[in-house]
Amino acid sequence: MFVSILINGLVSGAVYAILAIGFSLIFGVAKIMNMAHTAFYMLTAFLILGAITFLDVPLPLAAIASIIVAGLLGVVCYKLCFDRIKVHETAVMIISVAIAMLFEETILLTFGAQYQRIPPFVEGYFELGGVSILNQHFFTAGASIATLVGVWLLLSKTKLGMSIRAVDQDREIANVMGINVTKTSMQVMGISVILAGVAGAVTAPTIMVNPLMWTNPLVIVLSAVVLGGLGSIKGSAIAAFILGYAETLVVFLVPDGSFLRGAVSLIAMVLVLLIRPEGLFGVAFEEERL
Amino acid sequence: MSLYLEVKNLSVLYDRAIVLNGLSLHVNSGELVSLVGPNGAGKSTLLNAMSGLIKWQHDTLKGTVSGKITLNGSVKFDGAELINLPAHEIARKGIILCPERGRPFREMTVQENLEVGALFLDKKVADDNLEKVYALFPVLKKRSSQVAGTLSGGERTMLSIGRSLMSEPKILLIDEPSVGLAPLIKDSLFERIRDVQGMGVTILLTEQDVSFAFDLASRNYVISRGKIIAEGTSQELLANELIRETYLGL
Repeated sequence: MFVSILINGLVSGAVYAILAIGFSLIFGVAKIMNMAHTAFYMLTAFLILGAITFLDVPLPLAAIASIIVAGLLGVVCYKLCFDRIKVHETAVMIISVAIAMLFEETILLTFGAQYQRIPPFVEGYFELGGVSILNQHFFTAGASIATLVGVWLLLSKTKLGMSIRAVDQDREIANVMGINVTKTSMQVMGISVILAGVAGAVTAPTIMVNPLMWTNPLVIVLSAVVLGGLGSIKGSAIAAFILGYAETLVVFLVPDGSFLRGAVSLIAMVLVLLIRPEGLFGVAFEEERL
Repeated sequence: MSLYLEVKNLSVLYDRAIVLNGLSLHVNSGELVSLVGPNGAGKSTLLNAMSGLIKWQHDTLKGTVSGKITLNGSVKFDGAELINLPAHEIARKGIILCPERGRPFREMTVQENLEVGALFLDKKVADDNLEKVYALFPVLKKRSSQVAGTLSGGERTMLSIGRSLMSEPKILLIDEPSVGLAPLIKDSLFERIRDVQGMGVTILLTEQDVSFAFDLASRNYVISRGKIIAEGTSQELLANELIRETYLGL
């Protein structure tokens, strides 16, 4: 049981972390509260499904292509919708919900409402400590962690990452230091949606895909962002792992725990807002951000 | 010495409030010019307008109450018109703003803050510049891995000047460098600004502390209600009784 909890928590934690980081990035840089973030995750899963069933594309290629298409679609949404109204933050949020509904309905009309399966990237299973674990789970965890490391390298070691962090912290000053804030925002929108796409691609084979699969992760992402502290990228990643493990513990240790799974992150969010509204890694300088 | 930076008839209105009212001034190459005046005279607004921030606010806040900004007039640098350029392009032409109280990127380390300044230069040039900045401000080297949000006021101002120097600026626009600093820190900052000028950087700085500004600058402007009301060397301005008593409070 210990091994199962360890692996399952790692798998969900890492996927949530990718989603939460993407959400935090675009919020921090462009002040876009993107409720459609996990809709891109759902969309990518269905793009893969479409590519392998209708176009007979091999799975890895389908996954990569779908992630890229989702990323481009994200940039298009940014250009067509968010960029025009970004000064009105509430309107941005409402538009993003509309985009999410648009994706959901489109998928519903093309693929139907039934639960569908995507084949695993890697077949077989693996014995560890008397428990058998699907190789696909290792793949999901590995790919997710590799992505997290990639994001960390991008943000800490590259010029683009440096611009992103500068814009994230103070848009005006980034601007007068020569950083093109509009261009950076668009790049971050692309990166953010690509991250959602990666999460969708690596998770899709481990779950049943359906057009409503974006709502639950959205709740988790919002909880992770609240728990980690709004605006803290590191915080939301760590909070995502905490939530991933919390869910797994509830599922394995509480009788009938799988029914409670969805409640875990909601309870965490309510508790954090009551006890420590700034979150675990709440940015001490938050009020001075511009 | 050539005419380098020229502001002509610059007006800024926030909604219907006139902040700058047809202001004109110029800065020659290599000069250190100060702009003194009371709170709310429009000093920061002038620097923000020159660095493109006002235009940026106008463009990004379009459609909201705080976005009702009117910007008119001309800001010329080396013959090229800047008034309609976006802020990041003005910065890349070498006109860099050091905002009031420094405004470092608070969650980055001191060194990362400096590196942001040289984002658009080659790695080797950036490393050289980093050495120069550390030589000028040894305290920044001591704090290089410290998060900038934990710096003191004086250190923030120095970091902001250092960050600007990283980009090899032609003109620094320094907004109230001495505000809120202890006398000893003020003195050291005074010397550092001198050093920066010695490196061949043209400087326009705003100040409320008239003696700090007048000791430093070779030429001064006095601003009141969005207009330049007097111009001259420190001696000239101090010799004018009306100006001295009404606007400088000396």
